[in-house]
Amino acid sequence: MSESVLNKMPWVEKYRPKSMSEMALPSAKLKGHKIELAEELRKFIKTFFREKRAINQKNQSIKSFNRLHGEKEQKKLFKLSQDRVAILLEGPPGVGKTSIVYALANDLNLDVIETNASDVRTKKSLESKLTETVKTRGIMDYLTQSKDKIILIDEIDGLYGVADKGAVPTILTIIDTTQFPIIMCSNEYKQSLQPLYNKIHKLEINPLSSDETLRIIKQILKKEKITNVQEGIINSIIEKNHGDLRGMINDLQGISQGSIGKLNSELINSLHRDSTEEIFMVIRDLFEEVSTLKQAKVLTNKSDVDYNFLYKWVNENIPSFIKLNSELVVAYENLSIADQIFGRIQKNQYWSTLPYFYDLFAGGVTLAQKSKRDNHGFKKVSFPRYRSTGMFSLTANERLVVEKINKKYEISEIEAIQDFLPFLRVLSGTSRKQLKLVSDWLELDATEKKILKSDSEK
Amino acid sequence: MTENIPIWRIKYLPKSLDEVCGRSKVKNRLKEYIKSENFPHLLLLGSEGIGKKTIAKLFCQEFLGSFYEPNFKIVYADVPLTSEERAKARSEAHYSTSKIGRLAGKTITTPAFIHVKIKPFVSIKAMGDVPFKILIVKNFETLGSNQQGFRRLMESFGSNCRMILISHNTSGIIDPIKSRCQLIMVPPVDIEEFKIMIATIAKNENLTIDNETIEHLYKITKGKIAKAIDLLQITSISDNNVKIDNLYENSMVFQNNLIRSLLLMTFKGQFHKARELSRKIQSNYKYSVQDLFLLLYNELSKLPLSTYSLSLLINMIADADFRAIDGRDSDIQISSLLSKLCYYSEFL
Repeated sequence: MSESVLNKMPWVEKYRPKSMSEMALPSAKLKGHKIELAEELRKFIKTFFREKRAINQKNQSIKSFNRLHGEKEQKKLFKLSQDRVAILLEGPPGVGKTSIVYALANDLNLDVIETNASDVRTKKSLESKLTETVKTRGIMDYLTQSKDKIILIDEIDGLYGVADKGAVPTILTIIDTTQFPIIMCSNEYKQSLQPLYNKIHKLEINPLSSDETLRIIKQILKKEKITNVQEGIINSIIEKNHGDLRGMINDLQGISQGSIGKLNSELINSLHRDSTEEIFMVIRDLFEEVSTLKQAKVLTNKSDVDYNFLYKWVNENIPSFIKLNSELVVAYENLSIADQIFGRIQKNQYWSTLPYFYDLFAGGVTLAQKSKRDNHGFKKVSFPRYRSTGMFSLTANERLVVEKINKKYEISEIEAIQDFLPFLRVLSGTSRKQLKLVSDWLELDATEKKILKSDSEK
Repeated sequence: MTENIPIWRIKYLPKSLDEVCGRSKVKNRLKEYIKSENFPHLLLLGSEGIGKKTIAKLFCQEFLGSFYEPNFKIVYADVPLTSEERAKARSEAHYSTSKIGRLAGKTITTPAFIHVKIKPFVSIKAMGDVPFKILIVKNFETLGSNQQGFRRLMESFGSNCRMILISHNTSGIIDPIKSRCQLIMVPPVDIEEFKIMIATIAKNENLTIDNETIEHLYKITKGKIAKAIDLLQITSISDNNVKIDNLYENSMVFQNNLIRSLLLMTFKGQFHKARELSRKIQSNYKYSVQDLFLLLYNELSKLPLSTYSLSLLINMIADADFRAIDGRDSDIQISSLLSKLCYYSEFL
């Protein structure tokens, strides 16, 4: 690449690591145990190719056997277990999930086939892009002994409802048929991906440590020949980004190219990125500092947090700040009216009522605290994890159990969950023998047995 | 019976119409249908859990004989469609070919439920030596506006497929459907028949149970056979000699015990715990918000409260239910209701 092109590139792309050795490696966990990320991935890919080769050889002889025999004597083909085929990297943005895959591919001399959230990932488009590449090795590949490949399905949490319909089942079938290892990346847990989580291992990647990031940033500054960035500013950039290396590099480029010479901390603040940290602060301030309606309004207006989101946080955290039942009831009354108003806005587009909504969910809730606030001690602000589903829907595990029940005893899903399973829990809770009898008869495996246990133990 | 089934309610499931406990009038009527090899669309009515579905299924088995498998289907109207089924219905909607008029160029869709679950079955010809297929639709009253779709279906495919609709009450069913069906009321099982059945099971399982206890069992379970057998089995585990006390103790275990403890928790003013419990109930039992409010209401009316306070509390539940329909986040409405119960119960 010519010098001029390189200069125009975003630094993030320009300095994307070419090899694992150049990388700032984040620490990672597998099922709660700490692991060496680079080593683990390298091992994963190497064992995949080794085992796949062995299985392909076995399958070849089975296939030729099947061709000569009738349908009844057909033998089943061997398959690699799904957790050996695919792996999921889950971690905050900018720690190098995508980079590590590319660096690894470079080190091992592999090609990367990537699909990310900018592609439409419906069933069809995924199939057309991946299915052919994963199944066969192509005629050209045999002739030229081309490189092996890695399939990277990036930003998998960006699979969106209607637009990317049917993507998850397609990915599962691709996992079954692939000739190449699959690495998936995602930022956070998503319920719609549960079928995937059940089948494959998840590596949880932690944010980068500040020492590591400082090292990389200094390297970049040296290569760009920038000397006038003070130590303090670098430190505040690092602090601001919470281990998001990509964010840091972008910030660095922003301040050093935008206005060299006029570097100050205000500029860095203007590069501030929205993060969950901010919501925690807003919630704390709302309950502990705000004492007038106006203050509440200013606080909610000033924060960039979506109100759509914020009022759910308020709902989740009311009990940790307001303890008195008399105040609780006022707070919830206001919040519930706010929710009602919001529902009507959504349904009928009565946007003129939005100001009431704002005042009620923020000011109305926090000003319910009449008694002297006890601002001592740490109060836990928690993430609104719970979502009540309007529709009847089952998790993957429950569905499996209900299907197995249905084989022996025909009964609808709703009856099974609300009537039959509770009885089974009581029955199998009486003794180990009963549990064994029931689960043997229904042919449940270990994870499905847990559903029978979950309630009775408590 | 060689297989040893550990769950009694399945073990003692009747294998033929004759084995069904009691209800001789209904059984006789159905047997006549079998004899004449013909029957109109049926609408079975009766309260929850008394065996309507079991009777209907056994009837179909005997009516269709060896061609039972391909010509029989049971559909549960209250189970919502999965996303795949919904997508299928959407993709199979077709464009109108007419060039003029209201329908020109429009997509024509049938209701997704009927398109996915009913049509494919009723429109295919019956297989084998049977006069027609049989479709059972359970909890028909929950279909709501989809009931309208059945009006034409029952007429145009009636000769190919007869339907047996099962419902708890007639009030939820639209008149045009009622007029197309023969109504059959399925009564709860008689106490005398019930006694005989329980005595047979007790003999089989080497239990001792006296007459009075069986009467109590009948009372507790309100004649619901599956529930009664469940209760009997649980009670028998601790002691082969089934006594009234044990029966009551165990019946507490699964008669909406959780809902009651939720209410008691709010009466003690423990909001935080109550909210956790209500979330647990919802996720474990998959109750919708409306279900939960209804259960709370039912449980509340069983408690010994004065009329005044009862009406106050019911008012709160009704208000919360109403707001939940309007609002976006039902969890807020549930929390709001719980906080109200926590606070106002102090004054009752």
